[in-house]
Amino acid sequence: MDDRLLLIAFGAAVGVCSGLAAVALSHGLVFMMENLSVFRDYWWAFVLPGIGMAASSLFLEKVVREGAGHGVPEVVYSVSRHGGLLRLRSSFSRLISNCLTIGSGASAGPEAPVIISGASIGSNISRLFSLNERQRVTLVGCGSAGALSAIFNAPVAGMVFTIEIIMGEWSAGNVVPIAVASVAGAQVTRLLQTHQISFTHLRFDVDVTSTLAAVGLAVLTALISVLFARSLRYSHHISEKITLPVWVRALIGGCMVGAIGLLLPGVLGEGYHSIQQMVEGAFAPGLALMLLLVGAKIAATALTLGWGGSGGIFAPALVIGSFAGLMYHRFIVLLLPGFSWVDEGCYALLGMAGVISGTMHAPLTGIFLIVDITGRYETILPLILVSALSTTISRVFEPASFYLRELVQKGQYLKPRTDAKVLADLSITELVEKDCKTVPRNMLLGDFIKVVQDSHRNHFPVVDEQTGEFQGMIHLDDIRPYLLDSLMYETVFLEQVMQTEVETVDIHEDLSEVLDRMDANGLFSMPVVSSSRFVGMISKATLLDKYRHELMVQTMH
Amino acid sequence: MELKIDEISSCLELPSTTVERWVRQGRIPVKMIGDTCLFSDTALRKWAEEHNLPYHPPGEQQQEKQEETSENLADAIGRGGIYYHLSGQTVEEVIGEAVSAMKGIESESDRQALYESLVAREQMMSTGIGNGVAVPHPRTPLSQTGIPTQIAVFFLDRPVDFKAVDKKPVYVLFVLVAASSQQHLHLLSRLSYCLRDATFLNLLSEVPAPETLITKIVEFEARLSGGEG
Repeated sequence: MDDRLLLIAFGAAVGVCSGLAAVALSHGLVFMMENLSVFRDYWWAFVLPGIGMAASSLFLEKVVREGAGHGVPEVVYSVSRHGGLLRLRSSFSRLISNCLTIGSGASAGPEAPVIISGASIGSNISRLFSLNERQRVTLVGCGSAGALSAIFNAPVAGMVFTIEIIMGEWSAGNVVPIAVASVAGAQVTRLLQTHQISFTHLRFDVDVTSTLAAVGLAVLTALISVLFARSLRYSHHISEKITLPVWVRALIGGCMVGAIGLLLPGVLGEGYHSIQQMVEGAFAPGLALMLLLVGAKIAATALTLGWGGSGGIFAPALVIGSFAGLMYHRFIVLLLPGFSWVDEGCYALLGMAGVISGTMHAPLTGIFLIVDITGRYETILPLILVSALSTTISRVFEPASFYLRELVQKGQYLKPRTDAKVLADLSITELVEKDCKTVPRNMLLGDFIKVVQDSHRNHFPVVDEQTGEFQGMIHLDDIRPYLLDSLMYETVFLEQVMQTEVETVDIHEDLSEVLDRMDANGLFSMPVVSSSRFVGMISKATLLDKYRHELMVQTMH
Repeated sequence: MELKIDEISSCLELPSTTVERWVRQGRIPVKMIGDTCLFSDTALRKWAEEHNLPYHPPGEQQQEKQEETSENLADAIGRGGIYYHLSGQTVEEVIGEAVSAMKGIESESDRQALYESLVAREQMMSTGIGNGVAVPHPRTPLSQTGIPTQIAVFFLDRPVDFKAVDKKPVYVLFVLVAASSQQHLHLLSRLSYCLRDATFLNLLSEVPAPETLITKIVEFEARLSGGEG
């Protein structure tokens, strides 16, 4: 069967499965909210998020034994380093832990857990049918796209997010199956679910002044994005310094979130209800309170995710964005009351796009998510402006997207078709040239010259006859002065002319490190040694050959 | 087609670890079951062409390279022949006689070309390498003439002054014609190994019979390859 057709068929199946996972999570969340809402009015309700987060972290730590990551970085890491390999249990573990976290009222989003579930479904389906890595990576993308498009009912955003963040490249081979999966995911959610965020009935008349004013909002959302990303990291940092069991930490963090929630209930949960109110223009609080809400939501999310809760930053970013948009709208109305401004709901939408683009450095995701959930293009001009500017400005302060920052710092994020990716794929074992003749250390120079005559290389590794251990190297240059001196032939042993201080490469070393060492020492070739035995030579000349082959194989499909 | 992983990697002239990884990553149109690779010959050939990689399925391997260096002296002399009683008085005469006696030259124009290039080489610098031996040869391989690689040995009736390095008159010629420079150097180096040896020179001065000379050369060549190993 044709490779492309096969991937499209599998992509559709993966999209349906991850759509089902998304529907399951959102039903689970509704169920939790409904059953717990009776306790909301008691004074002790602030411990609810604590209990939820503790249960969630216990479940992840003890039952399924997975780290409480956000989900998206794990998927990106697996795509970048392990050909999309993900554990089967990842397909449900985060769904349950996230249900406990958000259902109890802690502040996080359901998107990242659904994305890792979808991705893991894709990965395991491809393992079941023993597909190769390229196909597996595509199916991981399909899972993520299907999941995101199902949870938001936003097929284009699901597709764009996957390509922008998860895959990191646009290629014809990937885009089509991912698009199909996106459609499948969205279709599943439309068939099975009745309640969705959707603002298709709203109309906004955006004029020139409102579009221009959006530039100010872009700056504001960019700064808020940076603040948001930094507080998430800071909070995680603090919680790691506390030497309590994970679940106790989660309990403490959750109670703090609950306490914030007692004062400002709008910050709890994933917050789609507040978003709905804001976009529709039914959100009452004034300017000062909005500022407080932005801060509180950031704090609540940082506490939830940093202290052991399980969830993503997608929904919180949307909530923060709409708070920010509303706040900005109130501010400009106060400042310039003479102008006629567009409805505040429009600015809530723009704010969401701004914060999403700013934190994730994914402008297209920001734009298409809003277009998708409103189903209209009226806001497209300020939308593009805010998303693009917000990404650009936040890049000044944050070098990488929130999802990728840690991976980039550890050097684990390898964008496809880059130098780093090619180097990471090539191993020393594949590059080593084994046609080098070794010579014993107590060989006479005269005998060595006969060896040189038969060899076509300039480097000769010297080994110990008894142990076989690598002793040093002889380059032709080392013996050039004695080449025609027959007196030396019978009097000089090789160990007297060999170089003993030679930089060697271990067979398991990373190629990029080896290249750095070659550059640093001005070397063109180095001997490869495995447990002090000579294996072969590695040289820049062969490397160029193999590098080109690898690059061609990786870039042409 | 069905091949083992190391067979397919030698077809593509790649390390088997690379091929294995490419199969796993899905970058090459090959499927692996255990250590057996399944693939379509045409698809893989097309793929290799697109990616600028060599591809020689088993049976298609050419062994041209082998020949060039495995040429040996005794065979070359066998092809060229051993001749006695050249009667020329000058370098040109001797060379002219030698060329007209040589076998394996199809057209007269080839013979003429060989003669001219041998004489031109002598005029530039004598090929008399001392001890009465000269090794006339063209400066560049006469590949367009199609003369097969050979060494023809000529014993002269009367020694001729070749302006040799040691001023001694020359009594034996080894006319060396090679199809490529590589073969030329290879044969010349083997010949010079023999000519450095005193016993070999003694044998030459006795004007040996063809069989004796060939036997001696085979013996020397055996020593040469014995020393190599």
